Amino acid sequence: MNKFFSKKLSIVSFIFIPIIFLWHPNWIGFLGVQPYWPLFWLLPWSMINGSINGLIFGLFLGLILDSLTLDDSFTQIPGLIFCGFLFGRIKFHSDILVGHFRYGLICSFGSFLCGSLYFLQILFRNFTDSNFLILIPSFKNILAEVFLTGFFAPFFCSQLLRMFKFSRRKLQ
Amino acid sequence: MFGIRRISTNRWYEKKNWIVFAIFLFLVFVRISKGSFYKDLYYFISKPFWPGQFQKEIVRESVNQEYLIKLNLLKKDNLRLRQILSLQESANIENISAVVISRKTGSWWRQIILNKGSKDGVEIGNIVIGPGGLLGRVKDTSLFTSSVTLVTSPESKLGVWVDRIQINGLLVGLGDDYPSLILYSKDADIKVGDFISSSPASTLLPSNIPIGIVQSIDETLKSKKTAKISLLAKPHVIDWVQILKVNI
Repeated sequence: MNKFFSKKLSIVSFIFIPIIFLWHPNWIGFLGVQPYWPLFWLLPWSMINGSINGLIFGLFLGLILDSLTLDDSFTQIPGLIFCGFLFGRIKFHSDILVGHFRYGLICSFGSFLCGSLYFLQILFRNFTDSNFLILIPSFKNILAEVFLTGFFAPFFCSQLLRMFKFSRRKLQ
Repeated sequence: MFGIRRISTNRWYEKKNWIVFAIFLFLVFVRISKGSFYKDLYYFISKPFWPGQFQKEIVRESVNQEYLIKLNLLKKDNLRLRQILSLQESANIENISAVVISRKTGSWWRQIILNKGSKDGVEIGNIVIGPGGLLGRVKDTSLFTSSVTLVTSPESKLGVWVDRIQINGLLVGLGDDYPSLILYSKDADIKVGDFISSSPASTLLPSNIPIGIVQSIDETLKSKKTAKISLLAKPHVIDWVQILKVNI
């Protein structure tokens, strides 16, 4: 059992993303907004396995998370696919400390991208209605999410990266 | 930064196409079933952490206050309607108590998940109220859980009634804690502090469910008035709710 878990650590942790997404712990939030959890997993996975793997699992994550949210008209898939592809093209940094903080910047950028793509869908859908009313809360949501994702990314991403590398080494 | 260099060149998806296909099929199943598998799994994982009985007492006090407001509204409504016509039947309302097991009240997704699902008789379209008033409508059910779209969600659009000036309006969620009331009349004499309840003309909600109070008014538009509404029921703190099975 332990062997299975250490081998398939990345897949086991993948299963827990929707659970954390549903859990939505308030004490970790800011202005009622949570960090964008899937990016914490997608960044290390894509960095280790490359762009195509990142793209595929971006799609998988999007499919699952979309099914957990009730907004039928909007999807998280484009943002996550794009992030997965982009993250796969990022090199590891030789300096561990710089590398850690770089995860924060990259995840912030990814969160901004996903948030903006989601916001554009809402804006497009409500174009005929009073779309201007939605602007301020949406900017607040994007900025709070970008901040939180960037803030927690160095911790979560470096831990997950270490775990994925460890399980890969066990595999070889 | 974007130079191509990866630790491994392991392209497992080329070697094991069937695994990718199986995962994809599984995810399509999850998508089609609207995540009911995950929601049910979350139901069992979160069960030990549901709020205890002592919170029920606090909630009961708030519910009593809410019922007083509702009672007054109903009396007024009843009098008004009896003057116009004789009421043949009243709405048949059945309540189901439920606990909030997942809460997304910030960011884009404004929803709560309850611990009562289709096996308890919850149906899509049922109304969910908490201490204070309306929270939202059931959008999706699984065997053990039901997902509720909150009135603050950008997907929520409901007909409401401004009691003081006797006018209908549209309550639109904006993705923050204060939904917007749109009155399609520039002359509507709406004031800060006006009480908003569900509209008697609504086909989605039973009438006279308390919703909120006008917090601020925006008169910059030419053809309509908009107002920010402070909700009476606070979805980010409520742990117990009532699901109303209403035949409107």
